[in-house]
Amino acid sequence: MAVPTSSPDPAATPKKTPIYEASSQYNNWRFSPERLEVLRRTMNEAAVTAIRRTLETHEPGSSSDVSFLTADEEHILVKHYITKITPLCGLFSFPEELAATAVSYMKRFYLKNTVMDWHPKNVMLTTLFLATKTTNNPISIEKYTQRIRGTNPSDVLDIEFLVCQSLGFEFAVWHAHRALWGIWLDFQDLPNMPADWASTRKSQYEEALEHVRASRLSDVELIYSPSQIALAAMSLVFPAESDTWLSTKYPAESLHAIQTVVETIKTIMTQACKAPEVETVRNVDRRLRTCKNPEKVVGSKAYLARQAEDERKDAEKRARKAENVTQDDDPFGSEMKDTPMDDDDDD
Amino acid sequence: MAQRWLQGKTVRKGAAGGSSAHTRSSTPQVQSTSTTVFGGGVKDPSGRTAEFMSMDDQCPVCKSDRYLNPKLRLLVSSCYHKMCESCIDRLYTLGPAPCPICDNILRKLAFTPQTFEDLGVEKEVAIRRRIAKDFNKRREDFDDLRAFNDYLQEVEDIAWNLIHNIDVPATEKRIADYRATNAALITLNIQREEAYIQSLKEQEEFERQEREYRANEARKAVTEEREEREKERQEIIDRLETSDKDAAKLVAKQREKAMKRTATRLATSGYGDMSRLLAHRNRGKVVQDLPHVPLQDNIDCYETKVHVRMDGYDDFFSEAVRKDREGIMRGGGYRVEEAWGRALRCAMAGLDVMPQSGLETPAILGDGDIAMAPPA
Repeated sequence: MAVPTSSPDPAATPKKTPIYEASSQYNNWRFSPERLEVLRRTMNEAAVTAIRRTLETHEPGSSSDVSFLTADEEHILVKHYITKITPLCGLFSFPEELAATAVSYMKRFYLKNTVMDWHPKNVMLTTLFLATKTTNNPISIEKYTQRIRGTNPSDVLDIEFLVCQSLGFEFAVWHAHRALWGIWLDFQDLPNMPADWASTRKSQYEEALEHVRASRLSDVELIYSPSQIALAAMSLVFPAESDTWLSTKYPAESLHAIQTVVETIKTIMTQACKAPEVETVRNVDRRLRTCKNPEKVVGSKAYLARQAEDERKDAEKRARKAENVTQDDDPFGSEMKDTPMDDDDDD
Repeated sequence: MAQRWLQGKTVRKGAAGGSSAHTRSSTPQVQSTSTTVFGGGVKDPSGRTAEFMSMDDQCPVCKSDRYLNPKLRLLVSSCYHKMCESCIDRLYTLGPAPCPICDNILRKLAFTPQTFEDLGVEKEVAIRRRIAKDFNKRREDFDDLRAFNDYLQEVEDIAWNLIHNIDVPATEKRIADYRATNAALITLNIQREEAYIQSLKEQEEFERQEREYRANEARKAVTEEREEREKERQEIIDRLETSDKDAAKLVAKQREKAMKRTATRLATSGYGDMSRLLAHRNRGKVVQDLPHVPLQDNIDCYETKVHVRMDGYDDFFSEAVRKDREGIMRGGGYRVEEAWGRALRCAMAGLDVMPQSGLETPAILGDGDIAMAPPA
């Protein structure tokens, strides 16, 4: 907006939480780059240990020649399937918001789960289906699976609840592309803007949007805020306007910090947002076949054992519950006490 | 109002519905073929008895029906059996005689018109009316709710017994005993009820007068205005006759004066009556007017930084929605300004939030598949 914001007076508005900082995205899905790294590494190590143990229990000595995936390799595979989301959305002509949401879900899911447990292909289909619902573009599961070759409803729905749990049931995502649109609109409100500014620069805007789309392949959305990503994309295309706009929003002393952040994102956007090479992906996927968690392979020995174990636990739980119920004499509670009725309908 | 309901009386809600008492002009009045005037029956609030009759009516005694005798009128005996007027005349003109159906001794004057199709209802209403005359205690007459409920229970018991002919002599004795012990209270409550009805009537009357007064006022105002206008015209004509000033100016001046007068009259009249009426309506009840407190939260939606342009944006994204003449795309109440506002807020969301660094925050541990994890 063109209104030169006199620096927001901190005394006048005491300690109000900006709405973004009240969001689950800010509170639960924001990491430092180092922590992302550590998170992925520890999870990979834990998964490898667990799978090795399972393999050993069922066939001792079989795990020695298995080469497990590293954290980076897992990430490559996830990235590869993230690139598949956009074409799929094109097939269904889903809006951009849906694709972006599905991508976010994918990234968040694999911060809590490993590729060796859940193959990203299935997870991708599930996150996309979940996103159709959370972004209010519902489609029936039959229609959805019909259009995608080789899938059936159970592939998508079986892990849907698991995905929801991993996301912590936090489905709302703040998107960079919406922020980009907002900045684009607000540019028109800058002072001394020519009247035809917006109408003559559509292609540049598309270019900025492409930068935002590319950034979905990287981890920026887990590190930076959507507006920072959008501003970075904008300033790659409209450097002068971006600087002016930013200076109308913030006092001069805080500009530098924001600009530094934006520069970092710009570097990532231009250099690190490439889809993984198909050959590498194929390699990783081939190896994944040998090091999958056998407990998750339907029909395998370990899977059956795991199922039996789960069932035994469930039965135990049910028995315990039934015991508790029989302790009470009446499932509907004890008899009601003879309290005098309050007849109040006469006044 | 449980008690009043028990009495089978119509409770008037507020005073506004008072005029309904005289609107039942369509109550069917049955031509009588008998010389006797039969009273009784269940009256409606206006005091009339709406008689029940149907095409299938047939006298159980002489078997004549409405097809043969269109003027057939069935009356109800005190033992709740129906009979046509000619049968009543034939059987009871010479004095009390047994009922042809149940052999109870009946008298001619104890026959009443039928109101309800179901004679069981007819009987119940009559009995309830009868006992309500004596059992007219109110909630205020009791110390506690328990006693009042017990009393209501007793009334119901008596009514039940009478309706179903259970222990009739004993029940009658109970009523008599009750009447003897509570004679003073019964009379007092009758008076109270009368006073209540009286007050309702008064209120109705008052409102009627109010309406009349206002109508009169309005009429008077109209007449006054007409007279005044007449006078003005006369005045103008007089002035034009006597004065030698410019005619147009004179007329204009006079017009102005008239306008002023009308304005003052409008200002003084009209609203005075209205406020008086309102004051009368609200008499006795104090409605507290609490100020509306909007939802308060501690969230900042970047109000200081976001400003949606009133004249819109050059925006090819929302073009289709804005150019949609029929408004099909805006059907659900979609406003493009709100979409713009959201985008603008999103553009400000966390712009100054610095990214985290290092490993200081507690790590979210990947605990495998959560669904299968044992409950905590």
